[in-house]
Amino acid sequence: MGIMALLALSAYLLLLVGRISFGQQAFFGIGAYVSGIASAIAHWPLAASLFVGMFVGALASCMLALPTMHLSGLHYAVATFALGEMVRLGLQAWYFQHETSEGLVGPAGVDGFGDIRWLLENDVSPTQYLVLIAVVLAFVLLIFTWLERRKLGVALRMTGHDDVLAATQGLPVTRLRIAAATTAGALAALGGGLYAHRATYIEPALFDPMLGVHAVGYALIGGLGTCLGPLLGVAFDLGLLEATRVFAGWRMVVFGLLVALFLRWRPRGLLDEALVHRITQAFRSRPEPSR
Amino acid sequence: MNVRILFLLCLSLSGFAHAEARAKLELQCVSFGDEPKLECTARIRNSKGDPVNGAKLTLNAHMPSMPMAHSVKPTIAAATNQPGEYRGQLELEMPGVWVIQVDMSTPTRDRFIRRLHIEPCEKDKRCPAMNTSSIKTKPE
Repeated sequence: MGIMALLALSAYLLLLVGRISFGQQAFFGIGAYVSGIASAIAHWPLAASLFVGMFVGALASCMLALPTMHLSGLHYAVATFALGEMVRLGLQAWYFQHETSEGLVGPAGVDGFGDIRWLLENDVSPTQYLVLIAVVLAFVLLIFTWLERRKLGVALRMTGHDDVLAATQGLPVTRLRIAAATTAGALAALGGGLYAHRATYIEPALFDPMLGVHAVGYALIGGLGTCLGPLLGVAFDLGLLEATRVFAGWRMVVFGLLVALFLRWRPRGLLDEALVHRITQAFRSRPEPSR
Repeated sequence: MNVRILFLLCLSLSGFAHAEARAKLELQCVSFGDEPKLECTARIRNSKGDPVNGAKLTLNAHMPSMPMAHSVKPTIAAATNQPGEYRGQLELEMPGVWVIQVDMSTPTRDRFIRRLHIEPCEKDKRCPAMNTSSIKTKPE
């Protein structure tokens, strides 16, 4: 859930600046492959592997954002979708295998990339790794919470609400959006790197458009009022998926229907701006306890 | 303060990966039933080729084409009367490409991954052979 929350936060950051991306799975995949190669082939430590994955993810996202950020919302969404598919198809055709004592290791097209064994070789237990993911997520959330109270956070929200009005106020709208896209790419790639090391096996099919749609869904279901919204979205989404397990092969059909009905009821998600405002006001207007 | 925590975190993760001789897994799976069900037999040998007895194996499966959507309940593979052999069943939700994950927690921690293509079963409940050499159709 923590890994998916990072992906959800990457989609949330772009939604904040008024951009819908159906291509965040591409940066998730890039992060997974790059950090997997760094640890399984180059034998780098985990922290360095995750960092290089984040860097390449951020770079790829920035390279996409530079020519596409001037596009309108719908066209940008299509461009990100196309990039997501380009990356997935590229990974399907990519072979980069390295001979080790255990055989060939590295990306092998549709057969994927296995033996990303850093956690097993360094005796990191699943619980320890879970704690690490929780720490990383908490750190990211702290940055988000801090940012949302600063001028930069307000500027990002203004850009998302009305970019023309934001530009007339002197905000560098395009630069803000490119910075948001770059950071979102880094976050998705960090999630991908963490996923690759947990699963030990990745393949291009994992990074298909459905993952990107879910990422946007997490943010929309959870709500755009606060950075806790995407977390709530992930919990709701995964909880609903588990609850619909009884439908077996029809699970995704039922799940899709329930999500559609939910968004009909709460179009801005569970924790929308109005609810966050009400909660904040309720806390602020609480009377002082009498002495 | 945050910088110090981050530094300590990086320091704790800065061990370099090292390779150890791994156990070898031979996995044979047979599909049957409508859902379909999958019965997998795992044979574990250590790096010297001797059967590994007393291992604790867990079988799991997920569908890569539907990330986070189709994953099944993990099951424990029980030891058979053959040395180093374990058997367990998985209930899959649909035919297609599945990744079978075999986790060994004792005597050493390891994870083995196999990618299987599971064909839809025929109306007479026979399940066609899968396109992987380690897969066989269960005789009726």
